[in-house]
Amino acid sequence: MSAQLQTLDISPVGRVEGDLDVRVDIKDGIVVNAWTSAELFRGFEVILRDKDPQAGLVVTPRACGICGASHLTCAAWALDTAWGTEVPRNGIIARNLGQLAESLQSLPRHHYGLFMIDMVNKNYQKSPFYEEAVKRWSPFTGSNYEIGVTISGRPVEIYAMLGGQWPHSSYMVPGGVMCSPTLSDVTRAWSILEHFRSNWIEPIWLGCSIERYEEIQTYDDFIAWLDERPEHANSDLGMMWRMGIDVGLDKFGKGLGKFVSWGYLPHEDKYNKPTIDGRNAAVQMPGGVFDGAADTHKLMDQMFTREDTTHSWYDEEEGVVHPFDRTTNPIDNNAQDFAGKYSWATAVAHAEHGHLEAGPLARELIYGGGHMEDWQHKDGLLLDMYKKMGGASVLLRHFARMHEFKYIYRQMERCLREFRLDEPFYIKPQEQDGQGWGATEAIRGALCHWIDVQNGKIKNYQIIAPTTWNVGPRTGEEERGPIEEALIGTPIADPTDPVEVGHVARSYDSCLVCTVHAHDAKTGKELSRFKTS
Amino acid sequence: MANLLWLQGGACSGNTMSFLNAEEPSACDLVTDFGINILWQPSLGMELGDGVQQILKDCISGATKLDIFVFEGSVVNAPNGTGEWNRFAGRPMKDWVRELSAAADIVVALGDCATWGGIPATAPNPTDSQGLQFLKRDNGGFLGTDFKAKSGLPVINIPGCPAHPDWVTQILVAVATGRAGDLALDEFQRPKTFFQSFTQTGCTRNMHFAYKVSATEFGQRKGCLFYDLGCRGPMTHSPCNRILWNRVSSKTRAGMPCLGCTEPEFPFFDLAPGTVFKTQTVMGVPKDLPEGVNKKGYVKLTGAAKAAMPEWAEEDIFVV
Repeated sequence: MSAQLQTLDISPVGRVEGDLDVRVDIKDGIVVNAWTSAELFRGFEVILRDKDPQAGLVVTPRACGICGASHLTCAAWALDTAWGTEVPRNGIIARNLGQLAESLQSLPRHHYGLFMIDMVNKNYQKSPFYEEAVKRWSPFTGSNYEIGVTISGRPVEIYAMLGGQWPHSSYMVPGGVMCSPTLSDVTRAWSILEHFRSNWIEPIWLGCSIERYEEIQTYDDFIAWLDERPEHANSDLGMMWRMGIDVGLDKFGKGLGKFVSWGYLPHEDKYNKPTIDGRNAAVQMPGGVFDGAADTHKLMDQMFTREDTTHSWYDEEEGVVHPFDRTTNPIDNNAQDFAGKYSWATAVAHAEHGHLEAGPLARELIYGGGHMEDWQHKDGLLLDMYKKMGGASVLLRHFARMHEFKYIYRQMERCLREFRLDEPFYIKPQEQDGQGWGATEAIRGALCHWIDVQNGKIKNYQIIAPTTWNVGPRTGEEERGPIEEALIGTPIADPTDPVEVGHVARSYDSCLVCTVHAHDAKTGKELSRFKTS
Repeated sequence: MANLLWLQGGACSGNTMSFLNAEEPSACDLVTDFGINILWQPSLGMELGDGVQQILKDCISGATKLDIFVFEGSVVNAPNGTGEWNRFAGRPMKDWVRELSAAADIVVALGDCATWGGIPATAPNPTDSQGLQFLKRDNGGFLGTDFKAKSGLPVINIPGCPAHPDWVTQILVAVATGRAGDLALDEFQRPKTFFQSFTQTGCTRNMHFAYKVSATEFGQRKGCLFYDLGCRGPMTHSPCNRILWNRVSSKTRAGMPCLGCTEPEFPFFDLAPGTVFKTQTVMGVPKDLPEGVNKKGYVKLTGAAKAAMPEWAEEDIFVV
């Protein structure tokens, strides 16, 4: 490879849910600069203007077929805070259970369908693990690909019992949920969970019991577990880790080293009168901001959210604004100009910390902090691995995602135990005007909705999705977006098949379909301003 | 063996996710047992960048035979008819769609966005979206009224938001097993085998419908969702209560009103204030009546139903 700068345009990068284009500059076989472009615009926020206050419950799950339950969760909590509802404990549990079911589904589906098939790329033919990888993970025909993709449909059967179908139900409504599950729904859900455990988690994924895996608290524990028995080393987790190290997935995809999570899963007895300000103290899974360089954990607040359109296809005032105060004013000419504007995604940032990475790794690093209340979830494994491995990487990011089965599974069990079947699932609310905010953690990261209801209709609706955080372009201060930054240092073995770029994008589990903001194509008109009261 | 190419336009990937829930046959069974060769799929395909562009070009040139072209998502025409707001593989998606549709034996529009325009085409339709051969109820759409794929069939519309996995996998198996000739389409080009019956057909709340016992608010363990909560089950064509969702349930069984998502007008009333989850009535009579029932007949029917209602109908029936 010559020392000349080589520019590579990759259109499309598939398996990221939506249309992503990436440009990278390569020098000596290493990426030295990168730009990510979100290439699809659908205008959901425009569609929601002047519509029924509950229209978001129908429309926003359909912003994303992958994280529909998460959008529905945000839409419902946003209305709850705007209307000042009371939500019964069963309603909170039924929402949490639905969202968890979607997340559990997503683990094997993402792992086998989207991530691992890159391990059978010819790039890795020389790896001693290659032959086994082809046997297990080849698309459609690999032994564990088929098991994993097929069994991924089971957890969402639990969602269908609550909401009638997955994807795209609207069963979460202000005041609770539409359903009232019966005893046999609960027992069937238990059986599905057990099936998932005994047919995939334990025999295929871990090669041990969940209880044994739960004993792992540190990086050293994990390595000891790996070496303990051949069943562990040869499990899909063990193989993923060992092959990942062998082919160097721990060596690139570092990223910004700054992370964000909204936290999620409100406790059934702590968020019955939901308010925007009361949320941090009510969620079982704590949110926050983790700054890797300073090694600090802080709480997160929606008021810190900023959007910057310097490099996005919008013509708006200079500087950064809170989504409440955004004027969405698109430009017709969306040609890619990498010195100027090159994406439909805005650069989402924290008022003090700038760009932040969202996703399972962010969540897990935050669960390792000491900033939360005693009763909230704690888990120090990923923070320990992050520190001992010298920061994030493609491998650690994907490991973090798959590690989450642990609490997702236990939380689902907890929901099934905590339902009180003879108590209400819904308390009919009084519709009223107001502003609301609903947030959650989709499996791929921080998601939130802002709503402003005035005169009985939606005045403004704003969504910031996890991939908006991750795939956004540079800020006005030229700080690269998280994925752009993570691409720096990526080795490209074959510029005609830059699978390594795919690894980085897919380690963020990018989802472009619900990333971009809204504008009106016909008039190009500015949307109303969202004012904080 | 049949070559299948699947692309997404103004899409949420929901039909892909729904497809991956399939069993009998699963997505893998389609490949291994029925010889469906998936050339590329946005969530599943191996190739990226130039590799994808080459696959598309080979389909268009005929170097690769394109048996089935599945399109998910709306066709985005904005801005100003250029389609630049949905670029894919280096050019507007709509240009790929036109050329691939012309090259394919069978063209399948999967989900509401590809059939009628769906949610993106909801007023004010900010992306100038169309379905492949319809825009809402109007025939034509992006490919035009006269479009026929090479097989002679128009676009096969499999609506739904999303479509149930069986609605597409069973059609693919029909094609793979030589039964494409049995495919009968209705006036909206939907396979009749799925879309002749009603969403209400098989609903567990039918007895409550018959006796006009209403679920007056959410979370009740009895009652029909049609009278107060805006359920469109009696006016919507789909097999949602014959072929259950995720094998276990349906929206109306779970307690969620049918939104009529297999019909061209979805989302109904363009989600205008006061229309979501509320039955629209005139003088106490629903504006939209069960298909084929007139107002006079409806009033008589409900009067008789009320008179005949047994006591148990007001008690919980889906009990703990």
